[in-house]
Amino acid sequence: MSNKGAKNLFIYGSLFFFVILVLLTIDTMDQIDRKAPEITASVDAGKMVWHKYDCIGCHTILGNGSYFAPDMTKTAENKPKGYLKKFLMDPKAVNPGASMPKLGITSEEADNLIAFLEWIAKVDTNGWPPKPILAAAAGSGGKELSAGQRVYQSLGCSNCHIINGIGGTSGPDISRVGSKRDREWLFGHFKKPEAYVPNSAMPAVSASDADIEQLTDYMLSLK
Amino acid sequence: MKYQSQKLAQHFYTFAVVLFLVQVLVGVIAAAQFIWPDFFILNFNTIRTLHINALVVWLLVGLMGATYYVVPEESQSELWNLPLAKLQFWATVIATSAVIVGYIIQGLFPQANTLIFGTLALNEGREYIEAPRWADWLIAISVILFLIINFMTMFKSKKWTGIQGTLLAGLTFLALMYLPGMVYMKSMVKDQYWWWWVVHLWVEGAWEVIAGALLAFMLMKVTNAKREVLEKWMYLEVGLVLFTGILGTGHHYYWIGTPGYWLWIGGIFSSLEPIPLLMMVWDAFRTTREHRVVSNKLGLFYATAHAIFNFVGAGLWGVIHTLPQVNKWTHGTQLTTAHGHLAFYGAYVLLVMAMIYITLPLIRGAANFDTSRGYRSFWWLTISMVFIVLTITGAGMVQTYMERLMGLDYVAVKANYNLWFWIFRGIFGLGFLYGTWLFVLDFFKLGKEQAKA
Repeated sequence: MSNKGAKNLFIYGSLFFFVILVLLTIDTMDQIDRKAPEITASVDAGKMVWHKYDCIGCHTILGNGSYFAPDMTKTAENKPKGYLKKFLMDPKAVNPGASMPKLGITSEEADNLIAFLEWIAKVDTNGWPPKPILAAAAGSGGKELSAGQRVYQSLGCSNCHIINGIGGTSGPDISRVGSKRDREWLFGHFKKPEAYVPNSAMPAVSASDADIEQLTDYMLSLK
Repeated sequence: MKYQSQKLAQHFYTFAVVLFLVQVLVGVIAAAQFIWPDFFILNFNTIRTLHINALVVWLLVGLMGATYYVVPEESQSELWNLPLAKLQFWATVIATSAVIVGYIIQGLFPQANTLIFGTLALNEGREYIEAPRWADWLIAISVILFLIINFMTMFKSKKWTGIQGTLLAGLTFLALMYLPGMVYMKSMVKDQYWWWWVVHLWVEGAWEVIAGALLAFMLMKVTNAKREVLEKWMYLEVGLVLFTGILGTGHHYYWIGTPGYWLWIGGIFSSLEPIPLLMMVWDAFRTTREHRVVSNKLGLFYATAHAIFNFVGAGLWGVIHTLPQVNKWTHGTQLTTAHGHLAFYGAYVLLVMAMIYITLPLIRGAANFDTSRGYRSFWWLTISMVFIVLTITGAGMVQTYMERLMGLDYVAVKANYNLWFWIFRGIFGLGFLYGTWLFVLDFFKLGKEQAKA
C-alpha cells in the first residue's frame, strides 16, 4: 500500500466510523428517556445536589465514578428513605463507623437527592448490577429456612444488617444480637425503634405481630 | 534544535513536571485515605479530583510542549507569533491554578460551590471534567489559540508532513471532543453518555492518535529511520486506533440506561482495540532492529517502554474485562482503577517523558547528557507502578468475587478483606513518588551538570 493510500484509509475510514457513532447516538438519545422514569423538578434539583457536593469524587453511580465508596445506583431501592435522609445530613450520627463526612447537606437538599436516587434506581440498565449468585442461592441449598428467617429475607433486613458476614453495613452487625437483647426489647424495638435507640434511623417494621414474633425468635437464636 | 521558538517547549515541560509531582503527592495521600479515610484536611473526593485533574492537565501541557517542538522542526520554520504562544502558556498556567484553588475551596467549604448562571462556580462534580464552566471557556480559548499558532506555522511554511498533519488532526479532534462535556443534561443517563464522548474519545481516540504521531517522530529522530516507512505505519496504526476506538466507546454504554445493541457493538469493537497498540510495539522494535545507530539511547528506551506499556496497560488490562459477559460482574470495581493506572502510565506518562528525554537535551544543547538518573527514575517508576497495578488488580478480583458474586457489602470488602492490598499499594506509591522526584530532579539538572565520562 502506498503512503497516500494509507493516509486516505485513515482519514475516510475514521470519518466513516464517526458517522456511524453519530447515527447510533441520535437513535440512543431517542431511546434513553423511554428507558427511565420522568424527570421531575425534584429529581433535577437532586441531580444538581449530587454535582454540588462532588459525590462522584468518592462514589460510583451507574458503575462510573471513584470506587472509594459504594455504588449509588440501587441505594434508594435498598435503604429506607428515613434512614437515607438522616444519614445524608449527618452520616456519623447514624452510623458511627461511616467514612462519609458531614458535608452540610440541608433537609431540602437531602429530599431532592433522595428523589434523584429513586429516579436512577428505576433506570433500565440492561440488568446491572447483577444479583449476587451465592447470596441468591443461600437458603435454597437443601436447608429449609425458619419462619423468622423468611420474614428477615422478605423485609430486606440484610440490606442494612449483617448476619454471619452477609449483609449491609448501614446498621449494626446482628450476628450475636440474641445474647445482647431480650425478647421484650427486640419486639418493642421492631414496633418503635426510636423509643429504644434515641435518634434511630431504622424504620419501624411494617409487618403483622405474628411475623414480628417470628422475627424476634430468629433474633434470639443468634448467639 | 534548529529554531529558536522550539525553546518554548521547555516552558510547557516545566509546568508539566511540576504538576506531575503534585499529582503523585496527592495520589499518595489518596492511597493513605483508603486505609485511614480521615487522614488529611481535605476529604478523599477533593484529593481524588486533584489527582486526576493534575494528571490530565500535565499530560496535555506536556503534549502541547512537544507539539511546539515538533511543528517548527517539521515545517522548517519558526513558530508563527511566538509572543502569542507565550501568552497562551501563561493563560494556561493561570487558568489551571485558579481551577485548583477552586477545588480546594470547594473541598473545605462545600457550600461555596453555588450556582452561577445555572452552573456550579467551583466544581461541576463530574469526574475528570470537574472544571467549572468559566474555566471550560478559558481552556477552550487556550486550546484554540494553541491550534491556530500551529496551523498558521504550517500554512506559512507550506510544508506539510504526515507526522505533523496527524499530530494536529489528533489535537483538533481532542479540542472538539471537549465540547460534549460542556452541555448540562437533566438526565444522568444522557450526562454520562456525553461524558464518555469526552473521556473515551480522548484517551482511546484523540490521545492515541497523538501518541502514534509522536512515536513516529521520536523513532525518526533517534534512529534516523526513513520517514516514508514510519509514516505509513503511523497511518495504519492511528487508522486502526480510530476504526476500533470510535465504536469501542460502546463498552461504556452497557449498563448506564442505553439500548441493548451497545452490548454487541461495544463488545466487538473494543475487543479489537489492542491490535493497533500491538502494532506500535512491533513498529518500535522493527525500527530499532533495522537502525543500529541510536543518537539518544535513553530517549529510545522510554519511547519503546511507552509502546510496550501502552499495549499492556491500555490494551491487555482493558480487554480482560471489556466483554459484556465479564464486565457485568467487574463494572465499577477496582479492576477499572487498575486498568486506568497502567493505561495512563504506559500510554501517556511514558510518552510525555520520552518526548522530554528526546527533545530537552537538544533544546539545552546537551546531546551527551548523563543518563544514569533517567534510567534509575524509569525503574523506580515502572516497578512501583506495576506493583501498584497488581495490588489494585488483586483488590478488584477479591471485590468482584466477594461483593458481586457472594453478595457481601461493599464497605465490608473494602475495609476488611482488601486492607492488605491498600497497604501494599501505599508502599509502592511511595516508591513511585521517589521515582517521580528523581525524574523532576533530572529534568531541572539535565544539561546543567557535568556529564560523567
